[in-house]
Amino acid sequence: MRGRRAISGWLVVLVALHACVLFAGFFAPYDPTEQDRGRPYLPPMRLHFLDNRGHFHARPFAYALKLAEGSFDQYEEDTRRALPLKFMVRGANYRLLGLLPSRLHLFGAENERIYLLGSDAYGRDQLSRFLYGGRVSLFAGLLGAGVTVLLGLCVGAAAGYYGGWRDDLLMRLAELFLALPWLYLLFALRAFLPLAVGPLEAFFLIVAVLGAVGWARPARLVRGVVLSAKERDFVRAARGFGATDGYLLRRHILPATSSVLLTQAAILVPQFILAEMTLSFLGLGVPEPVPSWGNLLSSLQQYSVLVSYWWMYLPALIMLPFFLGYLGLGSELQERAEPYKIER
Amino acid sequence: MTAESHETSEPLVRVENLVKHYSKRKLVGSVEEVRALDGVSFSIFRGTTLAIVGESGSGKSTLAFCLACFEKPTSGNLWFEETSLSGLKEKDRRVIRRQIQLIFQDPANSFNPRWSVLEILTEPLVLQGNLSRDEMHPRAQALLEQVGLSSHLGEKLPSELSGGQRQRLGIARALGLRPKLLILDEALSALDCSVQAQIANLLMELQASLGMTYLFISHDLAMAAHLADEIAVMSRGQIVEQGAPEEILTHPENRITRELLAAVPRLDLSRPPLAES
Repeated sequence: MRGRRAISGWLVVLVALHACVLFAGFFAPYDPTEQDRGRPYLPPMRLHFLDNRGHFHARPFAYALKLAEGSFDQYEEDTRRALPLKFMVRGANYRLLGLLPSRLHLFGAENERIYLLGSDAYGRDQLSRFLYGGRVSLFAGLLGAGVTVLLGLCVGAAAGYYGGWRDDLLMRLAELFLALPWLYLLFALRAFLPLAVGPLEAFFLIVAVLGAVGWARPARLVRGVVLSAKERDFVRAARGFGATDGYLLRRHILPATSSVLLTQAAILVPQFILAEMTLSFLGLGVPEPVPSWGNLLSSLQQYSVLVSYWWMYLPALIMLPFFLGYLGLGSELQERAEPYKIER
Repeated sequence: MTAESHETSEPLVRVENLVKHYSKRKLVGSVEEVRALDGVSFSIFRGTTLAIVGESGSGKSTLAFCLACFEKPTSGNLWFEETSLSGLKEKDRRVIRRQIQLIFQDPANSFNPRWSVLEILTEPLVLQGNLSRDEMHPRAQALLEQVGLSSHLGEKLPSELSGGQRQRLGIARALGLRPKLLILDEALSALDCSVQAQIANLLMELQASLGMTYLFISHDLAMAAHLADEIAVMSRGQIVEQGAPEEILTHPENRITRELLAAVPRLDLSRPPLAES
C-alpha cells in the first residue's frame, strides 16, 4: 500500500507540473514570441514585500529595472518605479488548449512588463518561453516514449513468445541498436533532411527518431517477462483449454509486461526530453521562434552569455522537478514491477 | 474393476513405446541427449486410475506433458479413444486437448494471480465458447459446489485461498470442460496430510459420480496405492514394474520400488519415544 501511495504522490506532482505547461497560455504572463528589443538580457526581477523605506505591502511588487550608470548591460532597480503584481489580468491573446480564445493570465503588471526569469537576447520573457517550450519538449518526450514502448512491446513479445530464429534475429538487432552511438545517428538522420523544416515537421521527425532509437531496451525487458510468463502453469493450463496464441498473449502474457512497460516509459520520458534538448540546443530540433527547452538553452552556446547572464541557466534548473518527478515515479513503479508478486 | 472387464472395454488411453529426448547444446563439443522417456508403454481403461510412481527426474512429468499435448514426443504413439495424437493438425489437437486436463503440482502457480476465482473458473468455458454469458455464472457456481467450495469465494483472488482450496479450484476448473482424462501431476504433493486425504476423497467421489479416468502421478507410493487400480513404477524414463497396488506393496520386485516403499512414512510404535531433555 505504501508503494501505491508513493506512486499516486508522484503522479499528483507530475500532473500539477504538466498542468502548468499544458495551460501555458494562462500561467505565462506574455506571448513567448513577443519581443522587447529595448531590454535584452534583463536579469530576473525580484519580488518584494518591503519597499526601500521599510513599509510592508501585502501585494508583492517588483521594481522596474534601469541601466546602471555608465554601463550598457548592467541593470539596477529603479526604486521610484514599483510594479505591483496583479493577478488574473487581461493580456496577450492566446487559445486555451489551442481551442478557447482567452486573454486571462494568472499574473502580470500594469503598463510595464515583468520578467520573473529575466529576458533573452530579444527581450522575450524567459518564463513564458519556458512554459510554452515545455509543451514541445514534454510532448516530444511523452510521444517518443510511447512510440518506443509500443515498438519495444511488439518486438519483445514476438521474440519472447515465438522464440527460435525470430528471437535470435530480433535480439541481435536490439543489441546492434544498443551499441549504436545514437547521438551521432541522430545527427546523420537529421542531416539527411533539409535544414529548414517547419516546426511541426521537425517535431515529428524528432519523435520518430527517438522512437526508432530507443526500442531496444524495452524490447529486451519485455522479452524476459514474456519468456518467464509463457512457462507458467496457468498459461499451460489455458493452452490445455484450447486457447490460441492470440488469446494467451492478450489475456495472460501481455498484461504481465504492463509494469515493466510503465517503468520503462517513466524512465524514457526524461531521457527523451534531454534528447530533444540536445537536438534543439544544436539547432537541429524545433526551429526558432517556437520555444522549446533546448532552444531556451541554445543561447548558452555563446561564451558571453555563458559567463555574463547567469539567469539563462535557470530553465535548466526549473526542468529538474519534471525529471525528478518522472524518475521518482519510475523507481516506485520498478519496486512494483515484479510481474506476479502476490498483492496484499 | 477387474481384469476381465478390462479386456472387454476399450482403453481410453494407449501409449506405445513413447520416447522423449531433450537435446542440450553444450557450449563446447557435441550435443548432449537427455532421455526423459525411453520407451514407455501402457494403457488406461475408462473409469480407472493408473498411478505412475517414481523418484524426481524419472520422467513422470514429461509423460504427463506428452499426454496433455504440451510436448511433442520424439517417437512412439499415443492414442486417445482410438485417435492417434501424433499426426494431428493443430486445430484437431485443440479439440482433443480439452478432453485431457492436467492438474498441476503447485496450485499457487496454476492460476493467474490477478484473476478472481470466478474469472479463473469461467476461462475454460469462455475458451470452449458454447455457453452464453448468462449460462456461465451458474455453471461456475455448480463447479464450485461440485468440488466442495462455497460459492461466496467467487470474488476472491487465488492468493486469498488456502492450499487445499486452491487445489479444489484447480480441479473445478478442469472439470468445466467435462474432460475424460484427468492427469494429476503431483497434485497432492504440495498439500499437508489431512488436506491430501480430503482431496483424495474428493477425487474418488468424482470418479464414482462422473466416471472419470485418472492418471495419477506421484512419488508417494502409499497414496498411489490408496487411489489407483494399477501402479506403474518409473525410473530413468522407463517403467520398471507394473501391477495391482496390493501386489506392488506386498511383493515389490524392483529395487526402485523397494526404495520408494521404504520412503513411505510409517508410525512405528515399537520404537521408544524420544527422551525428553
